[in-house]
Amino acid sequence: MALTALEIYKLLPKTNCKECGFPTCLAFAMQLAAGKAGIEKCEPASMEAKEKLGAASAPPLPKVTVGTGDGAIILGDEVVLFRHEKTFYHPTAIAVSVSDTLGEEALRERLRGILALSFERVGQMISVDMVAVRCDSSDPARFARIAGGALSGGGKPLLLQGPVAALAAAVKEVGPSRPLLSPPPEEVEDGARLAASAGLPVVVKARGVKGLEAALAAARAAGAKEIVADPMPEDAGQAVADSICIRSLAIAHRAREVAYPTAFDLGGGFPLPFAAACLLVPKYGSLLVLDTADPAEILPLLTLRQNIFTDPQRPIQVEPGIYPIGKATPSSPVLITTNFSLTYFTVRSDIEASRTPAHLLIAECDGMSVLTAWAAGKFTAESIAKILGDSGGIEGQVEHRTLILPGMVARLSGKIEELSGWRVLVGPQESSALPSYLRRLPPAAFLPAHG
Amino acid sequence: MTVPLPKQAFPGRILEVTLPAAEGGTPVVVGGQNALPFAREGEKPNPVAIGMEVGTGSGEIPPSLARALGGREKDPVSLARACEGEWGARFLFLSLSGCHPDNGAQPVAAGAKVVRDILAAVRCPVIVGGCGDEEIDAKLFPAAAEAAARPVFLSYADEKNYRLVGGAALAYGHGVVSWSPIDINMAKQINLLLSDIGVPPERILIDPLTGGLGYGLEYTYSIVERIRLAGLSGDAMLARPILCHLGDAWKAREAVDASEPSWGDPDVRGPRWEEATGWACLAAGADLLVFRHPANVASFRGTSWR
Repeated sequence: MALTALEIYKLLPKTNCKECGFPTCLAFAMQLAAGKAGIEKCEPASMEAKEKLGAASAPPLPKVTVGTGDGAIILGDEVVLFRHEKTFYHPTAIAVSVSDTLGEEALRERLRGILALSFERVGQMISVDMVAVRCDSSDPARFARIAGGALSGGGKPLLLQGPVAALAAAVKEVGPSRPLLSPPPEEVEDGARLAASAGLPVVVKARGVKGLEAALAAARAAGAKEIVADPMPEDAGQAVADSICIRSLAIAHRAREVAYPTAFDLGGGFPLPFAAACLLVPKYGSLLVLDTADPAEILPLLTLRQNIFTDPQRPIQVEPGIYPIGKATPSSPVLITTNFSLTYFTVRSDIEASRTPAHLLIAECDGMSVLTAWAAGKFTAESIAKILGDSGGIEGQVEHRTLILPGMVARLSGKIEELSGWRVLVGPQESSALPSYLRRLPPAAFLPAHG
Repeated sequence: MTVPLPKQAFPGRILEVTLPAAEGGTPVVVGGQNALPFAREGEKPNPVAIGMEVGTGSGEIPPSLARALGGREKDPVSLARACEGEWGARFLFLSLSGCHPDNGAQPVAAGAKVVRDILAAVRCPVIVGGCGDEEIDAKLFPAAAEAAARPVFLSYADEKNYRLVGGAALAYGHGVVSWSPIDINMAKQINLLLSDIGVPPERILIDPLTGGLGYGLEYTYSIVERIRLAGLSGDAMLARPILCHLGDAWKAREAVDASEPSWGDPDVRGPRWEEATGWACLAAGADLLVFRHPANVASFRGTSWR
């Protein structure tokens, strides 16, 4: 368990020597407890203190990196069990499988399908992260060749699943791309030795948390350094229970023996793979392998991942500014809302649904929704009037001076008119009513203001 | 070297709530657990209850959903029978949406009649939802409460109308769904207010407002986790079963738009969108889930684990 500042203070020399850069040992202890400083800054500390504090401040869940460069995937390295306590940092990696029995054309086709699993949502790209190459052929040379093809054709980090002989052949082909090796459970030690000698991360598979405990010890003894644990569940319920158990042991109990990122193979006839994946995204799965490359399944799954891994303290924001929607002209309506991405994309898609070209003004509101931003004093008559009056702003782009204000902040309309000289129309309270609202607007509302 | 398996013992327990059925029907019992979902420790006497929505509105529903409902969406009684009989819903959420001015503008008396007809047609427990228009609901809830010949739950009581809904429930022996907009303090507050006017605790369910996948689901996910953790930690006002209504999943463009071929078949994508929303709510701690797509009722009912 993490130590409190007072517990840490008791281990320090209590000399207030200031060598650490803090005025007192207690102040330093508080920084240590908050994870903002490391014990190495305290030279006079005893060996015992350094050992204890070093262990306590090490991350509860180690980090495993797969792949290289920009496409590298980080597994693990999380610090909380519930996202509202802080945030989840490293999104569950999604791998889609290819079999090494595929012919050349079929492989290309499959890789094209996997590459297409990339979507833009609320301004972010969400994509499948890895390609899992399965050795179904029991031919190491063939497996190595297909792994090479999957790497060059897919450009994504690889998960290599097969017997150690096949993995060894593939490592010669694609080793520098830093694939994750996944040997079968009966070859844990040989697989760990191969990973250790090649300096690659490895998946350790064994049935259940108890089984993993022994297998992980064996893998460590064989030299494996970067390890991902797969408890080989039989169904979705078991998968989530195992996943929760391993992550709770790691974070709440600091049980180093099983504190590893997790992998779950939901392909090859696993029952209800979509259900299992949806449960494992919020419940601590680090890497999921799926056989499906159907966008109708992958898009919801990636969207769920995007939702769960959004920092609860930092909503996704869009750039403030003027966004033309459709073929907006100088006589198109002008609407305004806040820069909370969900607000922006909802309003945007509702305006699009109305088929009315329009200018959408986005106000800087620290990513808050309309009502929250208003309550926090970020979306006010003054701030809105300032946006309307901005030089080089909306006044240069439209001939009229009529603003559609979100219905939630109708009370601002008088003040805005007073400050900006614009006329204000109060729009609907809910964005979903925009299509019918915009279609009912008389065009005369947006005639040129002067003349 | 043996790692002890984690044991997290909570001091609290979620109150067991029964949604009554008609004679010969099966009541729905939820709550009663003293552990988080999927944890190996603790007691979980009751499975998650899977229900379906029956609407009365005149508005169009997404084509993929309409195909799955086989054209029954315009006939609430026939839809309700299919939900219970063919698709295996353990309870119904009857939404009197048709009384809303923009969704059919049915008179209150018509809303009350649907309540009578549905209760005569099915034996499973029923939750009766208002139309969402404050003024109309003020008449609709008392009328529906009176029309219901057997105990139902009224959905929902919020900060403004809790006296009205709670009073109607008390007068006719119904339960109440207490609603708060993704706000744990408000969730607690409404339950306190309901308890102040005398609604018994074992007749209250919490509706924390369920955002659809891609459109605020993460807020719901975390508020459900927080309400559940608070309840298990001993906050009696929050130690109540949680109901997640997944209807918002169908409002997402990604769930229904057929014009984007790169998103895949909408007949698969639509139900998957609702399904993903449902699994996330389940993982967070929901005790009752309300679906619109029959296929999802089957897959959620088929899973005995939790």
